[in-house]
Amino acid sequence: MACNCENNIGESREAMIDRVDALIDRIGRSRQVIIPLLQALQDEFSYLPAEAIDRIYERTEIDRAQLISVSTFYSQFRHIPYGKHLIKVCTGTACHVKGAGNVYDSFRRELKMEEDSITTSDQLFSIEKIACLGCCTLAPVVQIDEKIYGHVLPGKVNEVIEDFLANVETASVASAQNSKQQVAGEIRLGMGSCCQASGSADIYKELQTASNDLAIDIHIKPVGCVGVCNKVPLIDVVLPDGTITRYPNVKATEIKEILHHHFKPAGRLKRLKNNLFNHIDTFHTDITWDNVIWKPEEERTGVIDSFLNGQKHISTEGYGFLAPLNIEEYIGHGGFKGLHKVLSTPDRQEVINNILASGIRGRGGGGFATGKKWEIVAASGQKEKYVICNGDEGDPGAFMDRMMLESYPFRIIEGMLIAGYVVGANKGIFYIRAEYPLAVTRIRKAIELCRERNLIGERIAESDFSFDISIFEGAGAFVCGEETALIASIEGERGFPKQRPPYPAVEGLHGKPTLVNNVETLSQIPYIIRNDIDNYTKIGTESSKGTKVFALAGKIRHGGLIEVPMGITLNQIIEEIGGGVEGGEKLKAVQIGGPSGGCIPAHLCDVQVDFDAFNQMGAMMGSGGLVVLSENDCMVDMARYFLSFTCDQSCGKCTFCRVGIRRMLDMLDKICSGKASMEDIDKLEELALNVKKSSLCGLGKTAPNPVLTTLKYFRHEYEEHVNGLCKTGTCKEMVHYVVTDDCIGCTKCAKACPVNAIPYTPYEIHTINVQDCVLCGLCIDECSYDAIKKVPLCR
Amino acid sequence: MQITINNIPVEIREGETILEAARRIGYTIPSLCYAPGARHKSSCMVCAVRNSANGQVIPSCTTYPTDGMQIDTESDEVKLIRTLSLELLLSDHKADCEAPCSMVCPKGLDVERMLSHYDAGDHEKAFLLIASAFTLPEIGCDNCKVPCEKACRRGSIDTSVSIRAIIKEVVDGAKPSQATVEKLDASVKNDKNTFYSRLGRFTPKEKEQLKETVTTPSRCLHCACAGRSKCKLRLYATAEGIKRPRYDTSSTLPVMEKQHIAGDLWFEQAKCIRCGLCVYNSDNGFTFKDRGFGMQVVLPEENRGNIRRELADLCPTGAIYLKQQPK
Repeated sequence: MACNCENNIGESREAMIDRVDALIDRIGRSRQVIIPLLQALQDEFSYLPAEAIDRIYERTEIDRAQLISVSTFYSQFRHIPYGKHLIKVCTGTACHVKGAGNVYDSFRRELKMEEDSITTSDQLFSIEKIACLGCCTLAPVVQIDEKIYGHVLPGKVNEVIEDFLANVETASVASAQNSKQQVAGEIRLGMGSCCQASGSADIYKELQTASNDLAIDIHIKPVGCVGVCNKVPLIDVVLPDGTITRYPNVKATEIKEILHHHFKPAGRLKRLKNNLFNHIDTFHTDITWDNVIWKPEEERTGVIDSFLNGQKHISTEGYGFLAPLNIEEYIGHGGFKGLHKVLSTPDRQEVINNILASGIRGRGGGGFATGKKWEIVAASGQKEKYVICNGDEGDPGAFMDRMMLESYPFRIIEGMLIAGYVVGANKGIFYIRAEYPLAVTRIRKAIELCRERNLIGERIAESDFSFDISIFEGAGAFVCGEETALIASIEGERGFPKQRPPYPAVEGLHGKPTLVNNVETLSQIPYIIRNDIDNYTKIGTESSKGTKVFALAGKIRHGGLIEVPMGITLNQIIEEIGGGVEGGEKLKAVQIGGPSGGCIPAHLCDVQVDFDAFNQMGAMMGSGGLVVLSENDCMVDMARYFLSFTCDQSCGKCTFCRVGIRRMLDMLDKICSGKASMEDIDKLEELALNVKKSSLCGLGKTAPNPVLTTLKYFRHEYEEHVNGLCKTGTCKEMVHYVVTDDCIGCTKCAKACPVNAIPYTPYEIHTINVQDCVLCGLCIDECSYDAIKKVPLCR
Repeated sequence: MQITINNIPVEIREGETILEAARRIGYTIPSLCYAPGARHKSSCMVCAVRNSANGQVIPSCTTYPTDGMQIDTESDEVKLIRTLSLELLLSDHKADCEAPCSMVCPKGLDVERMLSHYDAGDHEKAFLLIASAFTLPEIGCDNCKVPCEKACRRGSIDTSVSIRAIIKEVVDGAKPSQATVEKLDASVKNDKNTFYSRLGRFTPKEKEQLKETVTTPSRCLHCACAGRSKCKLRLYATAEGIKRPRYDTSSTLPVMEKQHIAGDLWFEQAKCIRCGLCVYNSDNGFTFKDRGFGMQVVLPEENRGNIRRELADLCPTGAIYLKQQPK
C-alpha cells in the first residue's frame, strides 16, 4: 500500500506544479512581480510550499536570494502550513488598552497550544496577533477566518470558539429571492468593515428575509461607513416622503418589528398573519419587550446627533447616504465635477497654484505641503510619471484610510485623476494593505465602473488626457507607509527605505518622477477644486487648513470615525463628540498619531488640532489615530506597547532603528518589571534622543516619540516603576491579586480561574495561589462583590 | 559647489560624497558599511555627521553635498552618535575577539592557535608555537595552574578542553631538534587599549547545539575570531575608547556557527553587523532574511557557488573570513 501513497503524493505534486504554472502564466515572470506572485501562491495553497517555490526558481527570473529576502520581510507570507482556521487577535492600541493580551493568552490556554507553537495539535486552529483589524470601537476584537467578533472577554473565548464551530457546521449560503416590484421605501445600512464586524451582514440578510416574508417592497441600500462605529449596526429607514428614522444598535431579531412599524405588508391576509405571529412572538419571548423602536427618539439618536454635530464633512461628504459603488449617485452629488473643471483648465499651473493657495498639507503624517509636491513632479520634463495613492495605513488604532477607500472609492479616484492630469502622469497605482480586502474589492470595482464611463483609460472624457489605474496590495509591513519603502516594495524588493534626496517626486518608481499622496489627501482634492478656495481656507488654523479624519477610540464613551475641522481642540473632540471618558473615569492623556506620535496629557488637551502645535508638543498628527487614555492606564506600559510595535516593524536597515529600538525596549521591559534603577531612565532618554536624531527614515525618527513624550509629561510614573509601583496595576510583574473580606465564598472566581490558582472553597473567603496565578483578570471580571484587588508588590 | 567641513570651506569634486570629501582634506570618519568602489547602502551610521545648517544628522557615506551645507564631523554630539552606533552594534555581537584561553596564558601562548594546528593534525606547527612561547617546552605546563582550562568556554558546556594534556602530548611526540629550527611570533598581545569583544554566556540551547556539533580531536570551540586582524568594528571601538559595554547584550544570530563557503572562505553569522555589503555585491549569493532586530544575512547552501573570495576583504568584520580548512 505504501507505493500507492507515494503515487498519490507524486500525482498531487504534479497537480501542484500545474497550479503554480498557471499562476506564473497569469502573473508574469519578471523579478518585479514577486509580491503579487507570492500572494497568489498563498491564496492558492494557504502557505508557500517548498515545491511551489522551487518551481518559481525554475520558471521565472526570481532567484533564491530575492525570494528569501522578500518572502521573509513581509509578514503576510507563511512558510509553514497553518491550521484549518486562523484566529487573528487584534493588538491595536484600542484593543491593547482593553486587554487584548489577556484575550490572546486565553485563546492559547483554551486551545491548549504548546508553548512555542501557534497551531493546535489537531491542526484545527492557528493563532496570530495582528497589528490592527481596524474595528477599534469594538475592542477587543478577534477575527476567526472571515468572521469578526467584537468585545471579546478573556473569560468568553470558549463561547467564541463554540459559536464559530457551530457556525461552520451550519454554514449555508442563503440566497434571498428578489421579488420586489414597487419600492415603498428605503433602508440604509452601513456596510463598512466595522459595521460588518458588528454583525451588519446578518442584519442585511435578515432585512432581505424579513422583507420577503412580509412581502414589503423596500429597497435595501448598503451605504459606506457612517462613522458612528460605537452604535453599529445602524439602519436608517427612509420613507417615500423623505423622512428618516434612525435605529442604532439594532439586533437581527428587531428587524421584523421595525419593518412592521413603518411599512404595510402587501396583502391583508399576510398583514393579519404577521400581526398575529408578531404578538405571539412578543408573548413567548422577552426579546421584543425592550425593543429599540419603543425607545424615545431622543434616547435613540441624541448621542448620534451630538456625535455628528461637531463634525465637518469633506473627505466623508455624503456619509450615511452615498452608496459606495453607485457611480450615478456620486456624479449626481457633484462627483467628477472637479475633474471636468480641471480638464477644461488649459493652464495646469493655475490648478497647482490653487492647491498651493488652499494650504492643504499631506495627511499621511508628515504634513508636507501637497501643492509643493505637485509642483516638483509637474516641473519634471520626463514623459513617464506616476501617481501613487498611499493606502498602506498601518498604525495600530487608525482605520480612516480603510473607511474612505471602502466608502468613497470614486472620490479618491477623482482626486488621483486630478493629480495625474496636473502633474502630467499617465499611470496611477493604489497601494492598499492586504489586510483590507473589502477596500481592495471596492476600489477594483470602482475602477471598472469608471473605465466603462471613460473616466479612466484613453482620452478621458474626450480630452487628450489618458490615465490608467492599477492596484497593488501591500504584503504586511508598516514601514511601507514610508514612500521610498513603498516604492521599493512595488518594484519587488524588501521594503527598505532609500535615502532622500533624491525625493520620489524627482526620482521614484522605476526611476521616474512619482507623486505619492495619502488617501485622505487625495479625497480632499475634488472638494478644493470644485468649491472656491476660500471655502476651504476658512476652515482650520493659520498653518493647517481644512479638515482631518480621526479614528477616535480607547476609553471613550462614543468612539468612531470622525472628520473635524482643523483648529478644534482635543477637549472638544473628547467631550462634545465623544461624550467624555468611558465609565466616568478621569482623562489622563490622549495618544495621538499612533507609534509615531505621542501622549498629550489631560491638562494640555485644550490644544488645537494643528500640524505644528502637535509637533511642538513632541507628538505628531500622524495618520490620525486618537486613543483616549484614562487614569487607569499605565503610561510606561503605553510607551512599551508602541515601542514593541515599532521594534517588530522596523525594517532592520540602519543600526539605530534596528538595534536602538530593541535596546530601548529592553530597558522599558526592565522598568516595567521593577528591576531598573534611576540611571536606566536617563540611559533610556539618551538613547531615545539619539535614535530620533540618527535613524535613517521616518519610522525610526518618530519611534521614540511615545517614550519621549511620556518621559516629558509622566516622568513620575517611570520613577514609581523603578520604585516597584505600577499604580494602575497594568504591569503584571509588579502586582499580585488578593481577595478582600468582601468575599462571600460564592466560588465564581474559583470556577473562572483558567489555571486553578483559586481553590474551590464554598462559603469561605477565597484565596489566590500567587505562584500559579497568571494575572489574567478573569476572577476580577467574574466577582460580583468587587472582592478581588490588584495590589502592588512594592519593594 | 562649496560647502564647509568643520568650518573649513571645501570645493566639492564631481560625484564626491561628504565622506570622500572629508577624508580627502584629512579628517578621519570611520565607516563600516561603505567600501570604495563597492555597491552599498547606508546602514551602520558610524559615519554619521551633522549638517549644522539644518541640524540634521546624516550618513556621510551616501549623502552628496548640496549648497550651503555646514558639515560637522568632530563635535561631541557627532562623537556620541558614533560611539552609540558602535555600542549598539556591539550589543548585538555575541562573539569573542580573542580566545579566553590565549588571553590568560601566563606564558603568552596563543593556545587557541596551537589547538587549531592540533585539530588539523599538524603537531609540528603546534609544537613550534609552544616552543616559541615556552623557554623549556619539555616541561610543558607542569608548573602552571592552567588558568586556560578555567577560562575555557567549553567548560561551561560540558568539560574544558584538556589543554595541559594536549600540550604534553604534542611536546612528547615532537623531535627535539625542531625547537631550534625557528621561533614563531606566536604570543597574543594583551593590550590594555585594545577593545575586546566578549561572548558572554551561552544559552541552554546553544550549549546543546555546540556539544553536538563540535567534535574535533581537542573539542576546542575555537573562540578566537579568525577575522580579527581585519575587523573594522574592533578597530573603531578601540579608537573610540570603548571598554565596557553600555547596553545588555542579546542577539538572534546563532552563536559560533561556522559555514564553509568554498576553499578557504568561511562565514560566521554571529559576527555579522547586517551592513549588506556582501548582499549588494554578490549575485544570487548572500541575502537578507526576516526584518527588524531579527534580520539576518544568510547564505543559502545552493548559492555557495556564487560567492567570490574578495567578499572576505569587503566584509567589515570577521563574519566572512579566510582560513585554511583543517585537513
